[in-house]
Amino acid sequence: MKNLRNPDEFDPASDEASDAAIENILHLARQRLARALAPIRRPVARIGVIESRLGRLLAAESPRGLVALTYLDSTDGKTVIAALKQKFDVVEDPETAARIGAEIEAYLAGDGDAIAHRPIDLSLVASAFQRRALTRLRTVPPGSVVTYQGLAAAIGSPSSQRAIGTTMATNPLPIYVPCHRVIKSDGTIGNYGGGVARKLKLLRAEGFAVDRGERVGPQAVYGHWQSRIFCRPTCSAVRRAERKKWIIFTDSARAQGVGMRACKLCHPA
Amino acid sequence: MIRTGGANGREIRRPPSLEMKTPATFDLPPPFDEAVVRHERELMRFLLRTTRDQDDALDLFQETWLRAYRAWPKLESAAGLRPWLYRIATNLCLNRARDRMRRARVIGDEELDLAQVAGSSNGAHDGVLHLKAAISKLPPNQREALVMRKFGGLEYAEIATALGCSADSARAGVYQALKKLKVAAEL
Repeated sequence: MKNLRNPDEFDPASDEASDAAIENILHLARQRLARALAPIRRPVARIGVIESRLGRLLAAESPRGLVALTYLDSTDGKTVIAALKQKFDVVEDPETAARIGAEIEAYLAGDGDAIAHRPIDLSLVASAFQRRALTRLRTVPPGSVVTYQGLAAAIGSPSSQRAIGTTMATNPLPIYVPCHRVIKSDGTIGNYGGGVARKLKLLRAEGFAVDRGERVGPQAVYGHWQSRIFCRPTCSAVRRAERKKWIIFTDSARAQGVGMRACKLCHPA
Repeated sequence: MIRTGGANGREIRRPPSLEMKTPATFDLPPPFDEAVVRHERELMRFLLRTTRDQDDALDLFQETWLRAYRAWPKLESAAGLRPWLYRIATNLCLNRARDRMRRARVIGDEELDLAQVAGSSNGAHDGVLHLKAAISKLPPNQREALVMRKFGGLEYAEIATALGCSADSARAGVYQALKKLKVAAEL
């Protein structure tokens, strides 16, 4: 017992289980742990930073698709990462971010199809109403916009424009779910989570003309959700029909592009 | 084995590859599976040593990692991982000890328990048996601190986090434990 006289010479190695024995136990333990973990495993989300011409973005992709995209200038991303951690095992993966970044750059350079094919995962969206609104919003094509009222009516709750506003403000996937294509009913472009400057940049990149007063441009035509007819803003049909039924295109060509026909009263060019 | 300076200039044994490899853009904790690979060995040794029973160690090993996985979203950064894991393991060991104590009081076979411990490590040196018994008689906090310091090679600050006390009282716990062991050894 002399080695206990001096505590510094206390040597645990002499009583240590041998390495081989530990390996055997660990082998068994790993198998049991894997079985126990299987039912409570969370899916993996890969996150990374994108440097784009819209600024720094945090992107996250789950196995089902893109799950979050956040402008990093106002926040450091902690909130999003905390939300992601609740549902996913979060790992950093610069390559995924780079691929998404390349798509966004191509999109901003004018390739409207660049972001169309990536699946999205709306699991960070809070409610079914919001999910419905965002899914519907994805059908609004580039080069057109809808109003908050219009979108509310389109998903069957015509007086929920305020809730639509909240939905847009908390949209976890800006750019991919085009919340920049939602404007105010008076024709001004309204607000944007990443700042109005970014909203303008995105709309212009899609070819939607916005004049200097930040209003919808003079060439804009109003298409009707249901009748598939488009009119000049001054047409009597526009004044008569409910404002919330309209989708606003930057010019007639865009409206024809989605299969609408010109109004026979106002003959939009 | 990587050798690092201990708290008071002494060399202590540390398991290899404790350095973090993930790029530190967000200071995320390492992926769970990576953490398992990195810490399973030392955790198993710790549990074997604390429970002195292979089946119990296996159970607690699994329970520790399951609890860690459930709480993973709450883990903020890589730095706190190791003491955090030890804290979970320690709490589970204390729970187990408490349960056994309760059961032992009912059945009254505490002595038998100790005899089993002695019998299980056949052929071991008398002094080692004596030491094991002495360690098992230490108060829980001192015992955990001693095991983590001497067999786990943790820093006092890490032990403090694991046990929820200050670094100084962790150091004092180890000192008291060693003092008691010395007395026990001289009997």
